[in-house]
Amino acid sequence: MNPNTPIIQLRNVNISYLQNRHGVFSLKDFVIKASRLSPFVRRTVLEDISFKIDKGEAVGILGRNGCGKSTLLRTISGIIKPDKGEVVVNTRLLPLLALGVGIELELTGMENIRIMMALTGQYSRATIKKYTESIRDFSGLSEEQLQMPAKMYSTGMLARLAFSTATATQPELLLVDEVLAVGDKGFQEKCYERIQELRSSGTTLVFVSHSPDELRSICSRGICLDDKRMIFDGPIDGAIGSYLNLFHYTPRHGHTGE
Amino acid sequence: MESTRRYLIYYLVYKNFQLKYKHSALGFLWSFLHPLLYLLIFVLVFSKAFPSIANYPLFVLSGLIFWVFFSNTTNQLSSVFIRNASLIKSLNIPVNLYAFAELVSELMTSLLGLIPFMLLMGFFGMNVTWNLLWIIPFLVVYGAFAYSLGLILGSLNVFLRDVAILWNTINPAIFYLSPIAYSIDIIPARYKMVFLFNPFYYFFKITREILYEGTFPDLHTSLLCILFTSVFLLFAIWIFRKTHNGFISNL
Repeated sequence: MNPNTPIIQLRNVNISYLQNRHGVFSLKDFVIKASRLSPFVRRTVLEDISFKIDKGEAVGILGRNGCGKSTLLRTISGIIKPDKGEVVVNTRLLPLLALGVGIELELTGMENIRIMMALTGQYSRATIKKYTESIRDFSGLSEEQLQMPAKMYSTGMLARLAFSTATATQPELLLVDEVLAVGDKGFQEKCYERIQELRSSGTTLVFVSHSPDELRSICSRGICLDDKRMIFDGPIDGAIGSYLNLFHYTPRHGHTGE
Repeated sequence: MESTRRYLIYYLVYKNFQLKYKHSALGFLWSFLHPLLYLLIFVLVFSKAFPSIANYPLFVLSGLIFWVFFSNTTNQLSSVFIRNASLIKSLNIPVNLYAFAELVSELMTSLLGLIPFMLLMGFFGMNVTWNLLWIIPFLVVYGAFAYSLGLILGSLNVFLRDVAILWNTINPAIFYLSPIAYSIDIIPARYKMVFLFNPFYYFFKITREILYEGTFPDLHTSLLCILFTSVFLLFAIWIFRKTHNGFISNL
């Protein structure tokens, strides 16, 4: 593969959902609402999205709640197919979206590590064994804790487990959906460190967050979404500015306190 | 990609087993005890009612264990996509693998359960011959039948949650409408017609031939089972293909 080939390329992508018009989920609703011809309606979520992300870039995605950020990540990971346009992703591994999905609370931490790694593309027992060491070290969870069912974990411990597992394998592409806010101060710092480490070794990062500070410290580029479209794609500071503008904030300057 | 699928199915099955038997003291034994309890009830209640059936326990067992497999598989499959909603929404692996892994789990449970039941049926006077191996091709067809129905129910259940509930409700009705605890011979001639539309009539005819009567499965019945299972399977795949793109927005 040409090293200059972008790892992610979207061209004029349109995404729409076939959505249940009234949230009809039971037969009763269905009968009541049957006067309408179809209970489903097609709702456009993203319109005409085009961008390229090169290998090793760290891109932040911003926008209001429900503007399609998660949908965009799902599109990149191939879970959702676009109605129109083209999505090309050049990566070998299956990227994990939202950290912590797939954690079964009834199973122990160790079993969860094994299953999560397998589901994201690390199948061989040897590989899994090799990485469990580093997961244990990084998560800071003790052997005893890893043998406990995950339902006994605190939220922070779950986040540790999820983050360590997702990043242990040096993924080529990491899609992160608003997760770093959990975990205590110490672990958050460790996470940032790990992300910097991954970046310097060539991992591409696409990162959804609402925290300007977090975005500034991790990403160099930002994409801002509003009303189904991309309204900004460029340096992260510009993206944060255009995000804050959505809420009619003007960035505060140093002299406001006086 | 083929080996990838194999591994994914392996780990999904592993997960199913861990989840299913983690917190029960008797664990795996339950898959054996459950039909056994049923058997006990039937023997106590019905063996006096149907004195014409020789060796009633063996007769019941040769239908019952396969019914339990069918009922478990379809019930599990009817909710499989909902239970895996968070994974489906965030991992790019083919959605039908979740369903297939469920079928594999149930088949494995049933096969393991078959061992004690074979012993029990031997105790009740079943003829132990190579003939019994016919049960293996039977299970392939029967498994495909259960999978087809389960896949249809599971796909529709994503859009209309009543499907699984409805299925759970009519499950026992189908049980009593199928010749499991009784033989079709006791049905008055004018109602027999109804059974000709019940797939289980044919399936259990075959299991009875293999396990109860100790003969070869009837060729005509077998071909009929293969035929309607194929039609069913194609229909299920068609339904799944039509619906699976809408799963994400409705899960």
